[in-house]
Amino acid sequence: MDLLARERDRMLQRAARAYGLGFTLVSGLCYVLPGALVDAWALPAGLALYAVLAGAQFMLGISRNPGWVLLTLLAGLGIVAVATGFGQHSLGVGGMTSVQLLVSGSLAAVAVVLTGTAWRLVSFVLAFAGLTAASIWLTSSSQAPLRTGGLLLLGWCLAAGIGAWVSAGMPLVARRIASIGRAHRVERQSSELEAQRRQSARLLHDTVLATLTLLAHSGVGVTPEALREQAAEDARLLRQLRLGSTPTPQSSGSYRLGSGGDAEPVLGRTLESVKNRFGRIGLTVNWHGTGQVLLPSEVLDAFLMALAECLENVRRHSGVTEAHVTITEDDTMVRAMVTDAGVGFELSDIDEASLGFAESVVARLRDVGGNARLFSVPGAGTTVVLEVPR
Amino acid sequence: MTAGIPEENTLGVVVAGAARAVTRRAKLLGRGGNRPMLGASHLALGADIFVVLRAVYGLAWFVALWDRYPVPAAAASAWGVLAVVIVGAIVLSRVGGDRMSHAVFALVVAGLAATVVLDLIAVWELHDLGRTLTAATAAGSALLLLVTRRGHVELLTAAGALGLTLAVALFLNTPPGTPFDADNLAPGLAMLAFAVLPTVIGVLIVRGFRRMVQLELDRVLVQSNVSAPRYAVGMLASEELARLDLAAEQLLDSIASEQTPLPLPPKTASLAASLATELRLHLIEGRRETWLYHAVSESEMLGRSVTLIDKSALAGLLDANQRDGLLSAAWMLVSDTRKKAAPHRSITLQLGPLAPAGAPREDRKIIVPITITSTGIRRNRVDPSIWAALGRVGRYSDSTEDGSLRVDIEAAVDNPAEV
Repeated sequence: MDLLARERDRMLQRAARAYGLGFTLVSGLCYVLPGALVDAWALPAGLALYAVLAGAQFMLGISRNPGWVLLTLLAGLGIVAVATGFGQHSLGVGGMTSVQLLVSGSLAAVAVVLTGTAWRLVSFVLAFAGLTAASIWLTSSSQAPLRTGGLLLLGWCLAAGIGAWVSAGMPLVARRIASIGRAHRVERQSSELEAQRRQSARLLHDTVLATLTLLAHSGVGVTPEALREQAAEDARLLRQLRLGSTPTPQSSGSYRLGSGGDAEPVLGRTLESVKNRFGRIGLTVNWHGTGQVLLPSEVLDAFLMALAECLENVRRHSGVTEAHVTITEDDTMVRAMVTDAGVGFELSDIDEASLGFAESVVARLRDVGGNARLFSVPGAGTTVVLEVPR
Repeated sequence: MTAGIPEENTLGVVVAGAARAVTRRAKLLGRGGNRPMLGASHLALGADIFVVLRAVYGLAWFVALWDRYPVPAAAASAWGVLAVVIVGAIVLSRVGGDRMSHAVFALVVAGLAATVVLDLIAVWELHDLGRTLTAATAAGSALLLLVTRRGHVELLTAAGALGLTLAVALFLNTPPGTPFDADNLAPGLAMLAFAVLPTVIGVLIVRGFRRMVQLELDRVLVQSNVSAPRYAVGMLASEELARLDLAAEQLLDSIASEQTPLPLPPKTASLAASLATELRLHLIEGRRETWLYHAVSESEMLGRSVTLIDKSALAGLLDANQRDGLLSAAWMLVSDTRKKAAPHRSITLQLGPLAPAGAPREDRKIIVPITITSTGIRRNRVDPSIWAALGRVGRYSDSTEDGSLRVDIEAAVDNPAEV
């Protein structure tokens, strides 16, 4: 509410500035018309005061300093005093119109900002009373005091009414904005949850990504039938995700998504499905070592995804159609060693990121406390060691 | 990544790409009036009350002048038409909701024009328009009935047309040989002012009010970031991810249903590649942004003028109170502005780098250095409440750099390694 109150004051100040300057302009125009004034010297003196008045009103729109309100009122009173020769002269219709526009319009504009707090109300009453008394005294020989005072009261009440009305609307607006803010916070949280739901559908996205990567290479090297089957399967899963359920299907193609139900699914079964999946797209995976390993589901997700990514690299880059995966385990870690007898490469020649290795394999494994290491020599194949905690 | 960008931001403000479809003129005409606004009904009620009071005041003069009218029937019918317009506009707007249709608007303006013409006919022979026109000046304020429901330019144009009509009538109505002096001209000028100024001031107030509400909304929406976790995906990330998933689904579907031939044509293949890249980025990078990044990127106000440098995502370590202080301070620094005086007011928020650890602190906290550098913000122009907000972030010291404010803050946060 504090910041909102500041904004409100700023808005009222600007309104007061526009209000005041508008009437100052019209009053000034009437002032300079021939015949409005009695004394010749009153024209330059009055114009100078109009300039001061306009300057003070302009600053009223920017600064919260009450000095500008005071200066506005003093400059205005000065004009009235100069125009009437300090109450000596009787002004005609023209001069009186100018004065009346000044005191009931231009000067009343300060009333727009003199609302809201007790101190401002006190200043409003003081300013109004002082100005009314002075105006009636100065113009007593030009116009009936009742008319001057009546128009003054009308003008000032109107301006104060504008300020008060706008201020009165603020609490309601503040409440509405606050409730919108609360709704937005809830929406943000649910959006966050939704994004997390989608992001945490990791296995699904992994198989989608693998399929997309195949497609990006125009599906070369894979039979169209296998690719179509895989695409249909992935599209089905994505549809399920879109329709709101976090898919917990048994498999994606031959890629097992078994982590949904069991807390500690069996690794062996899922490894078999990875093998089948690559078999279909032309890479024979030979399995060695432990067939049954129990892993927490998110660790299993990361492990399988990294393994699949490594095999995909073998398929794409090694130039051979066979890879060996050896699974070993000890008390704390489960390791997979992926080896091929392909072309290999000079480690320093290859930017790891260009293989998607750092991003997809290492980052994913580190998320679950694991790691990956890469060994290769040109002409002598490649070995990747993946390890995750049990 | 263009297809998924929404056409409006959180405030319902049309963003650049979509806005181009609307012509500049249409935007200009409709500005301000085309969206419902919080508090509009309150302001509209105030305007209605003002218009009615103004009409009653004018009516009192009309009664007082009754004996002098050369064509009293015209004056009476002017007031009849005006009364119908005012009552009709108020009733219609209470029934019809936030926006007034073009037809109704045209009808109201036509009614006001008829009022002015009838009133002019009624007092033409008196040759003293400044003091005898009553319904015509009240008709000027009656435009305020529409102030929250129609575009501001439309209203100002209508008010300008009214002023021009009255000015021309004033000129034509003055008998030749009338001396050019204050006694003859001043009442006419005052009449013009009373006819036109209410609309102008009303439009300015409503515009200021609308701007204030929008700013506050923007601030409150951004404020919801303060309670976000250390890393968050942001409001748009989920939508973006959903869009990518959908695009992938459609591509895969079209392949599965043999609509797309295999092997893929190069264009489709590169689409698949870019989809995979974007999806990967969103899955992996999505959670690395902090609340402050989202706050800055989501806000109209902050997005324009705040640059954030936070390589290590240290903003996420600040607690809710510190975040609130930092956000408020940034907000006040860039919003507390006169556009003309400081068109290039901007700030840069830099968090970190962390100083090398000295002696371990007793309270298990580490110091995150935050530097706020600015352009176009003079030290002595800064609102005092900013210092209070900065004080909530941590120990700060302020100085002046290139004539603009610079603040260094040491924020003590819980050491993430110890928690």
